[in-house]
Amino acid sequence: MAGSFLHRERTIAPPGYSRWLIPPAALCVHLCIGQAYAFSVFNLPMTKLIGITQSGPGDWKLTELGWIFSLAIFFLGASAAVFGRWVEEGGPRRAMFTAALCWAGGFLVSAIGVYLHQLWIIYLGYGVIGGTGLGIGYISPVSTLIRWFPDRPGMATGMAIMGFGGGAFIAAPLSVWLMARFSTSTHVGVAETFIVMGLIYLCFMMVGAAIVRVPPPGWAPANYTAPAQPKPLVTTQNVFVYDALKTPQFWLIWWILCLNVTAGIGVLGQASAMSQEMFRGQITAVAASGLVGLFSLFNMLGRFFWSSTSDYIGRKNTYFVFFALGTVLYALVPYAGAIHSVALFVLCYAVIFSMYGGGFATVPAYLRDMFGTRYVGAIHGLLLTAWSMAGIFGPVLVNYIREYNVTHGVAPAQAYNVTMYVMAGLLVIGFICNFFVRSVHERFHMRVVEAEAEVEAAPVFGSQ
Amino acid sequence: METNRQSKGSGNGVKLALAWGFVGIPLVWGIVQTLVNAIKAFQ
Repeated sequence: MAGSFLHRERTIAPPGYSRWLIPPAALCVHLCIGQAYAFSVFNLPMTKLIGITQSGPGDWKLTELGWIFSLAIFFLGASAAVFGRWVEEGGPRRAMFTAALCWAGGFLVSAIGVYLHQLWIIYLGYGVIGGTGLGIGYISPVSTLIRWFPDRPGMATGMAIMGFGGGAFIAAPLSVWLMARFSTSTHVGVAETFIVMGLIYLCFMMVGAAIVRVPPPGWAPANYTAPAQPKPLVTTQNVFVYDALKTPQFWLIWWILCLNVTAGIGVLGQASAMSQEMFRGQITAVAASGLVGLFSLFNMLGRFFWSSTSDYIGRKNTYFVFFALGTVLYALVPYAGAIHSVALFVLCYAVIFSMYGGGFATVPAYLRDMFGTRYVGAIHGLLLTAWSMAGIFGPVLVNYIREYNVTHGVAPAQAYNVTMYVMAGLLVIGFICNFFVRSVHERFHMRVVEAEAEVEAAPVFGSQ
Repeated sequence: METNRQSKGSGNGVKLALAWGFVGIPLVWGIVQTLVNAIKAFQ
């Protein structure tokens, strides 16, 4: 029964179905899994589960808790890469349903871990099971959105991926509120909060799975005609998921994403400390936390703005803007510190974070332009390993450079300058990678016979 | 035929409003909370 509900044939849109129902379906999933960005709100309470008011003997340390998020991001990349083809061929509903079970299940298993005070159970719950839900959920609506919006694929995927950035805005205050409700003078209410959030996310994601539909065969939007002449750097062919790995384009885009994310993620975690040390006496700890919230907002809005813009100026040009403008802005941050201009600092960071988010949101459409719509979700899954890599490189690079500077006598206010120049250098390399992106050679295109065999094995709908 | 199309259109309108409200209201609530906290931080 449940199997037939999840079957791809059951998700073919009936006549008159509005394609504008697909972005909210995708947002149902992405707003939930975007909670990952707000997981840090649990860190401090989880260091006081025994001591209650302060860390007691046997309480977990922040360094131990930090691995929960790292594991989740690692399993995001790994599961997106491993299950990409399964997601693509089984359809969005089965993928969203599975993601919901994994994501909510991760919370429930973690609640058991908190209750029993066994950290390995939380690593397994949130890190492994939840991380797998993150990966499957992240890629689940991508190709469906691209098929429904052949006229504006950047905007469509941007809306979903904007939800991933926005999930933290809901999760952070909700988590704090729930923990306050469940906490007493002798108990920290983390386990109960995990249970409630897991159940809320399960319901929310199931609504997305119920709404989502794939377009019927041959469907195209009203008043839309595919361009008679193929646009440069936009293919009308398809590349098989594992053949994409053999193309230089895949690896160039892999590095483009990795470098853009490394630069952004490296300073994202340091934004609060950096602003306080660069503007000592001007930016307090409380003001810095407000700034981080503001930057997160630009991260979210940038996802929609830049991916929508890419529909008009092209993906390659969008990434040229990210890398060229990003290089200038990263190099300007030390200058903003030198002249004590908080306004210039905030402006630079706001645009940097908008482009960090924009890099994530524009990449599915870039892949679609290069490799076609058939396996774009699965190829996107493979590409997310670049995110996992950047998640390790970025913070390590920033922390290492800062530590090196401070131990060599550089004042804390100037300790970030070298970091910013290194990040600007990474963006220059990204610019060069983007420069070398060309159309995929036709020897990698799926032949008609192959494409038909694939269709028989797993029906594809809505070829435009 | 025309009536059928109109009812389909209005049905879609309700579904769209419900679906976008379902995701939009929590998102706007979260953004407002963040902005309120950000403003408090600067006061």
